[in-house]
Amino acid sequence: MINRRDFIYRAGLSGMSLPFLNAASIPAPTAKAKSVIYIFLAGGLSQYDSFNVEVDKTVLGKSTIIDSNADGVRVSNYFPTLANHMDKLLVLNSMQTNQGAHPAGIYKMLTSYNPRSSITHPELGSWVNKSLTREQDSLPNFVSIGRGRAGTAGFFPGQWAALPVQDPNLGIDFAERNRAVGEGKFNKRIDILDAMNKGFDQDYGTKDTRSYVDTYASSLKFMNSKDIDAFDLKKEDANIVSLYGKDEFSRSCLLAGRLVERGVRFAKVNLGGWDYHNDLYSKYPANANRLDKGLSSLLTHLSQKGLLESTLVVVSTEFGRKPEVNPNRGRDHHPDGFTCLMAGAGVKAGQIYGTTSSDGKHAEENKLDVIDFNATIAWRLGIDPAFEENTPNGRPFKLANRGEARKELFA
Amino acid sequence: MGKMGKALKSVVIVLSICVSVPLFADPQGRARQIDRIVAAELDRLDQAPRSEIDDFTFCRRLYLDAIGRIPTLDELDRFIADDQPEKRARLIEELLQSKGYNSHWYNYWADLLRVKYVGDKLHHPGNYSEWIKESVRSNKAYDQMAFELVNAGGELYKPGNGATGFYAREPMPLDHLANSVKTFLGMGIECAQCHDDPYEDWTQQDFYKLAAFSSKTYLKVDPLPEDEKTTYAEDRAMLKQKDFDEWIVYRESVRVKHASIYGNGTGFMRLPHDYQYEDGEPFDVMTADVLFGEMPPLNYKLTKADLDSLKNKNFGPEINSRQSLAGWMTSRDSPMFTKATVNRLWHQIMGTELVGPLGGLTEEEMGDHPALTKKLIAIMKAADYDVKIFLSTLFNSRAYQSRALPLGVEPPAYVLDGPIVRRLPAEVIADSFLSLKTDTPDKYVATEFKWDGFTHFYDKSQKMEVEDFVDYSIKGPGRQAFQNREEEEARKRNGESGPKDLWRVSSYRHHDGNHEVAVLMGQSTRDLIDSANREPDIPQILYMMNGDLEGDVIAQSTALIHRNMEGVEDQSERMEIIWKSILSRTPQASEERLFAHAQDDVIWALLNSNEFRFSK
Repeated sequence: MINRRDFIYRAGLSGMSLPFLNAASIPAPTAKAKSVIYIFLAGGLSQYDSFNVEVDKTVLGKSTIIDSNADGVRVSNYFPTLANHMDKLLVLNSMQTNQGAHPAGIYKMLTSYNPRSSITHPELGSWVNKSLTREQDSLPNFVSIGRGRAGTAGFFPGQWAALPVQDPNLGIDFAERNRAVGEGKFNKRIDILDAMNKGFDQDYGTKDTRSYVDTYASSLKFMNSKDIDAFDLKKEDANIVSLYGKDEFSRSCLLAGRLVERGVRFAKVNLGGWDYHNDLYSKYPANANRLDKGLSSLLTHLSQKGLLESTLVVVSTEFGRKPEVNPNRGRDHHPDGFTCLMAGAGVKAGQIYGTTSSDGKHAEENKLDVIDFNATIAWRLGIDPAFEENTPNGRPFKLANRGEARKELFA
Repeated sequence: MGKMGKALKSVVIVLSICVSVPLFADPQGRARQIDRIVAAELDRLDQAPRSEIDDFTFCRRLYLDAIGRIPTLDELDRFIADDQPEKRARLIEELLQSKGYNSHWYNYWADLLRVKYVGDKLHHPGNYSEWIKESVRSNKAYDQMAFELVNAGGELYKPGNGATGFYAREPMPLDHLANSVKTFLGMGIECAQCHDDPYEDWTQQDFYKLAAFSSKTYLKVDPLPEDEKTTYAEDRAMLKQKDFDEWIVYRESVRVKHASIYGNGTGFMRLPHDYQYEDGEPFDVMTADVLFGEMPPLNYKLTKADLDSLKNKNFGPEINSRQSLAGWMTSRDSPMFTKATVNRLWHQIMGTELVGPLGGLTEEEMGDHPALTKKLIAIMKAADYDVKIFLSTLFNSRAYQSRALPLGVEPPAYVLDGPIVRRLPAEVIADSFLSLKTDTPDKYVATEFKWDGFTHFYDKSQKMEVEDFVDYSIKGPGRQAFQNREEEEARKRNGESGPKDLWRVSSYRHHDGNHEVAVLMGQSTRDLIDSANREPDIPQILYMMNGDLEGDVIAQSTALIHRNMEGVEDQSERMEIIWKSILSRTPQASEERLFAHAQDDVIWALLNSNEFRFSK
């Protein structure tokens, strides 16, 4: 019997517990995406009232079909603006998950694993953060914008979690000096703090106390760095700002685009509220309109800046909605055959991948499980989806679980 | 009712009454037993004992460890001025009997037991949380507490039956078993859930044999099928056709009345469908067996051979074997239960592991100082798992009252001879701000059961028939307001709870939202056992530098720290008040040069200093 701790210790000496040193994690030169903008629609987007209209008419409820600027790609009437951008998007109509309730579905979509109570898994963004962050990077590589699940590091150290930005118009909480405290006063405070910490360090300094001193230094650096401008939408070019609406989701997309331009690897944008079990057709249009406008603006923004070649834009949701409209004029959860979108980074744009049965009940052609979906994103960033990390107590987990990259989604 | 086991019947809501009879016979005598063993080890290693801490350091340390916040200026001054004998022992006794203790140790157990809202299964943590609070208030013996948690059954929202939350918060029974073993026995057997453990001896069959004790235990939130058919089904169907929101309110409100843990174990389990080893086939019947120690007798009604011949899904009739599991797990004869408990409590008080990792112990290991481990185990058993007696023993020891060692800076080596320098827990940092705001930081810590929307509605539902539920769904508060209205009524029923900005972190309940400052400081998300975090990160430091403390404490003239300086003209005296309020000590001569700075700048710096957030 090998003692568990001995094993981990020995493995550590041979480098096995430091898999980020392994070649597998270093982006291959073939990586076609530098960054990901990941728009997450918590609640479960209705595929039949958005981007999967190639089913029996009865499945579509009150939605009607409109043409788009891409041949053979049609969308629902709730997306008139995006209809002019479908040439940039790949529609994935055959998504599948094994989870039918929100918390578990969201967890599965974002981490590739079923929720367990013995472990928490890192979100995809956290894997990307840990894999691609380099010492010279001055901005965090995983930022979560908008209210909702921020982006957990799971069993990774907390430094790999998303930096949360609740409100895109306000930037990062407390990143500016308190209004009552001028620069001179603030600097005096720092001087007193240094003196106090030096005294304490002499008698009681440990690596933990030094870690605090270091984090104060990096926080000050962060407060004073030019890069923090990246989070300040007031500094954005007026021509770019005018591409977007003023609503929070549009502003979040603008911030995501701005961050990606500055080299941030994974910007997650949350847009929730899609859980329309009742009165879908009176409540849904407003939210659909937000997505329609915000995503269209983002695609225009990235195209204008020449960033769409190197940025993979992803729109995902935890599951879809049932083909039947229920007696309350809503749709219930449906995990087998829902819709996600991708754009940029060489994806086969202007096309539809996968189908559902014409009655809308099942994914049919080219079924795409959420773990394969996540594997594909990682692969496009040059990260091996089978890249493995151990938990602190030695359990190995792969980035995308058993998922495999669906390379055929890219030209 | 026989199936619920004897222990559960003792779970009733009791008002805890503060009595100041001396709790513990001769805590100092017990402490000397520890000190002799530590001293012998130091002798053997030819290492000098650490110096003893002064009264200031002791006062701060004890407040932090016993009640989870720094002392107020007045509390510090009172202790320093006390010139009667045994003042340290008396302060220990006083704090262990105070409301602050209930707040601080609730946080500790709530993290271990992962009190959390897990939505999907309609597990609302309020009743569970109250059960832990009551257990801490009444100083329930820890082995009894653990027994009741493992053996819990019955209605989730029945006041007093909150121990059911321990089972209800898990999505899966096998995960729950692995977590119970980790929580109470300090062992990680989760690998064996899916495959033979490559590092330890546990096989997947071992795991399934243990799982056999609690097989067929399950959480069901809706009424049982028979009750559903005869009582609820007709109106449920009617409402579903009529209106979605009304149907939801009906479903949820009926659930609050009925959600329960059922089953008490059959003593049999079947191997999983994908069992891969040669020593068994998928769905083979496993008979209950323990991982170690004595196998409790089970009262089987069916032989294994009988069950073998039945269908894959059949686990046999209930024989109350889960209670036997609870007994085995919390037995004083267990080689693991008491060891894991003292390992855990030593870690909480001293900052290091006594035996090994909190969730990764083995049966044989006794730590770097086996004699000390043995003694602490003996003390815990002699105290009948009274946590306060155990803590009192540690606090009274010379080992505890020694200078804190910065780990990793040798010499001297760390030889389990006292506390180490370590960061304060998240809630302790947040609660320490209270000691600077008000002279009564523990004022709003609850002294009795608090209702929430779920327990309150459960209570009402006892008089509700099916037509009342229908009525409630149609004419009631509606889907959006269902929980909110019940919470509001519960709040009124609870009476005055004081302004939220003067609450200890422990007073935040699910409906109150997160304590944002505690979250920033690394409060456990309670997804996993022991997942609180004491590391710095940028959002945490930005808050400390630029956040609400400016308006709450630093420049807030109504905060206690400023009120304590009112009328004090002398700058040095004012500075001494600041030092004592924040760092619980007087300034050193070398720090006097900082006195020239503006008062608020000094307060800011001391609050941001490592000395404030680390325990020394």
